[in-house]
Amino acid sequence: MGDQNTPLTEDDARQLVRRLGFGIPVKESKKFRVSELVGLTRGAAADLFLTFKPKGFKPKSSDIEKAINKWYKYILKRKKSLALQEKLVIFYHDHFATNFSTLDVQEGEKDAIAMMAEQNKMFRKNCIGNFKTIVKLVNVNPAMMNFLDTVVNTKDEPNENYGREVQELFTLGATDLNGEPNYTEDDIGQVSRAFTGWHHDIKIGTHHLHEEDEHDTTAEFPGRGPKVIFGTAHPVGGGHNYGGFASPQSFITGGEAENEIDEVTEILFQHLDTDGENTVARHLTFKLLEYFCHASPSKATVDAIVTDAGFVGSWEMVPLLRSIIVHDVMYETAVPAPFGALTKKSVRWPVDYTIGTLRSVALKPKGGELQIPGGDFNNLGELVAEMGQVLLEPPSVFGWNWEESWVSSAGLLARYEFVRDVVASRGKFKPEKLIDTDLTDPGDIVDAVTDQLGVTSQFTATQRTTLIDYLTDEGTNPTLDLNDFDTRNRKLHGLYGLVLQSVATVLH
Amino acid sequence: MAITRRQFLKRSGLVTAGGLAGSTGMFGNPLVKTAMAETIGDRYFVILYLDGGNDGLNTVTPVDNQGGTLRTNYEGWRNTGSGGIRLSPGELAATGIDPDPNTGANLALHPGFIGSGIGTGEGGLKALYDLGKVAVIQGCGYPNQDLSHATSGRIWESADPLGSSGYGNTGWVGRYLADPSTMYGALDIPAININSSIAPEYVQNGTSVVAINRLRNFGFPFDPDYEDDDAAKEMAFLELHAESLASSQPTVELTGGAGTATFNASQSYPALHTMYEADRPVFNQKYTALDTSTARDLREVAKIIYGSVTGEPNIDARHFWVDNGGYDTHGDQGGAVGRHRDLHDEVASAVKVFYDDLADMDPGLEDKVTILIWSEFSRRIQQNSNGTDHGSQGPMFLIGGKVNGGVYGNHPNIDPNAVDSRPNTIYSQDVADDFRSTDFRDVYGTVLKHWFNMPHGTILPNVLTLDAGMDPTLYWTVENFDLTHPVNANPLFLP
Repeated sequence: MGDQNTPLTEDDARQLVRRLGFGIPVKESKKFRVSELVGLTRGAAADLFLTFKPKGFKPKSSDIEKAINKWYKYILKRKKSLALQEKLVIFYHDHFATNFSTLDVQEGEKDAIAMMAEQNKMFRKNCIGNFKTIVKLVNVNPAMMNFLDTVVNTKDEPNENYGREVQELFTLGATDLNGEPNYTEDDIGQVSRAFTGWHHDIKIGTHHLHEEDEHDTTAEFPGRGPKVIFGTAHPVGGGHNYGGFASPQSFITGGEAENEIDEVTEILFQHLDTDGENTVARHLTFKLLEYFCHASPSKATVDAIVTDAGFVGSWEMVPLLRSIIVHDVMYETAVPAPFGALTKKSVRWPVDYTIGTLRSVALKPKGGELQIPGGDFNNLGELVAEMGQVLLEPPSVFGWNWEESWVSSAGLLARYEFVRDVVASRGKFKPEKLIDTDLTDPGDIVDAVTDQLGVTSQFTATQRTTLIDYLTDEGTNPTLDLNDFDTRNRKLHGLYGLVLQSVATVLH
Repeated sequence: MAITRRQFLKRSGLVTAGGLAGSTGMFGNPLVKTAMAETIGDRYFVILYLDGGNDGLNTVTPVDNQGGTLRTNYEGWRNTGSGGIRLSPGELAATGIDPDPNTGANLALHPGFIGSGIGTGEGGLKALYDLGKVAVIQGCGYPNQDLSHATSGRIWESADPLGSSGYGNTGWVGRYLADPSTMYGALDIPAININSSIAPEYVQNGTSVVAINRLRNFGFPFDPDYEDDDAAKEMAFLELHAESLASSQPTVELTGGAGTATFNASQSYPALHTMYEADRPVFNQKYTALDTSTARDLREVAKIIYGSVTGEPNIDARHFWVDNGGYDTHGDQGGAVGRHRDLHDEVASAVKVFYDDLADMDPGLEDKVTILIWSEFSRRIQQNSNGTDHGSQGPMFLIGGKVNGGVYGNHPNIDPNAVDSRPNTIYSQDVADDFRSTDFRDVYGTVLKHWFNMPHGTILPNVLTLDAGMDPTLYWTVENFDLTHPVNANPLFLP
């Protein structure tokens, strides 16, 4: 068992750079390079990554494709902790998902981009802030208020869209880690009442307002019951109500007005699951572990991290992220398989795979459209879309489908094509600047390439032999002269392609 | 017990580069051909998923009351005027279908089902209904309705509402494909999803399912400047992935297998695009004229079926999946015009062109294809300001040349005294209930038994499991895999 005093090995350092950012960038500030991180304690490395002031960038443009490309370009260039900043913004963008095209239908392109950009800026500003604060900001975020119909949720015609998802997705989850439901349909109906009458002014962009005469009150609608949630006994709650509460929770202790949505949020953050643990803390931590570490974190790991971070009550992201970074779970998949029985490698997100690769081989896409300058000369955004991801356009409020969903033929073929375009970018992709071209032994060349990409430990001995056989054409050419233009372009570019297309690089 | 991909490879000795390099899989084995002919044989199956929860009440709508109160109740729940989504009898006049088997109320499809069919001259799903090729199955659902998109979608995809079957994360079609009785092998590609990821219905661990967005772009990308190195790259790629496929790490194994299947499919499928475009310009243009994602997706299916019937090598897919999104109409739903109408129009027009394309491709081919349409739930009976929240039972559709067209199943009971407090309709399996629901698993079971020719006893329990030991009025404790037409009493799938 390691802890915050455990020094980072080379595999650990690579894992940290890859997982907290995008690839292992060739161009990186000295302190954040793998070679400098090796030997540092996990705690010191966590503090290095987590000490920064978020920047004020937002992906705004007159045209949605330009706005998306602006964000890709921004991510491509981030160094030091700001790569982590972008990784976190993408996490929130997925967790509190809204998409451009729905807003576009409702409000037109200009306002839709403005709302998405404004939300994006809010996530960035708060990325290492307080999670409860972020939920409260999302409650009245214009893009969200449009996307989940808060703006048409009125006392006469209540709309449950937001009242459901704020529980199912943003805070509690539909079920807890034991598979038990966290709330009832009545709780959804009541929470939706709190959100009646809210609007925003898209021209101002961030301003929201509350119309008293559209707000549902108990005096006017006695038939809808008292404004309480978690008033039902949980079937396996050991005598407690849903949320572990002993009695129904009122969200109008401060009156029936704007205060209700904050009161609801406070109650949700006190919700306990059927193990008696804080539901929001477990739900968020589980998801962060899936995002940053691996696809199958255990309940014990989740609880250890929540406790270590003192997350319940503080809701501060920095200690939570720090506790993740110093925990063994961060480094479990950095070594060759087999890992622990419960550990499952993650599939890299398309945006991570592509931008990470470009940063790892120091290839700059061309022009405003971010064209990959080789092969079929595809634009970066089109390739990432073929892999199943478009930033600012998650498919639904559920965000993207993670993990196995990315491993489809369509998605994989787009990854293979992207890699082909990269390694065929003649004159732009320069492996001779990434490894020593005086190497002639095929085994040394394979090791140099996998080391440079940080994936040596992810190849089996058989796979290493396969790569050597490829270089030598099954032993026909036992040594290679990489300083020869044709040999280099045929075999070294080819080797980079195979390594980047392999399972070792597709997963992390 | 289905063998896993890895076990299969070990048994058949295919974990060698030589074995994997061939993309014919087990289809070269005449024994397997025979076995497959006994199952789905030369037939095809297409799932069309309406993503977001389709409003069933504005999909199959009561036009009048007859022996019940469906229309009166409908008008009580759905408004006219600004934001109203009520469909008037006049708006429903051109899309009438057979009456509700229970109340006798006349029913109509949403007027969008006429299908604008712009520039195609093909019309829509209503025209297919009139030809007797559409089964509308009302009131489909399951016990303990869940109103979450994710959870309810998962229930329909896994066909396991109680989560007690031990099916894990597999899908119902996936379990069928992986069942030993189908004789598909690990390297066979019996199913294609026109999508960027594999649909949960098809998830399993016995065969390869390939997700393709567009066939045209499905060739394997080699370095164009060094074609003389392609063969070396191919061999290395396949060896690397074969080794990953043999890994004990599940994600590594999965990705190794998916990479191998992708490579194999990339060698045979892209040519179908070129072939279809060259041979079928008239229908190709009809899909283009519709200019919708559903039309374009179904065209990809048509290309594969065309390649299959013309005998292109290594084209073995018989099962397909496409989807259309946008049904989560909490707001701006619209009535006879607007968002929901456009969605129905899109599906109705695309399905009609697809059906006609098949019939034109090879006379009788339309008799070999069945399309199943479903959605994760219907919507709230009472509308909100201008849309509908999440609901419960809704209609399914089965479409094809051998489908015995008509209205199956009862319209859900929308009487204010019969709905729950949401208000949503309530699932019932009570034989004494005139409004008894159709469990969606009976529709799946009928497809499995009569379209895939899977033995009844293999469907239970390998693909579907009864809610054993539960209250028979509230749960699915007795199966009916022989759905029959309520009027002519013939089977849903005609011989």
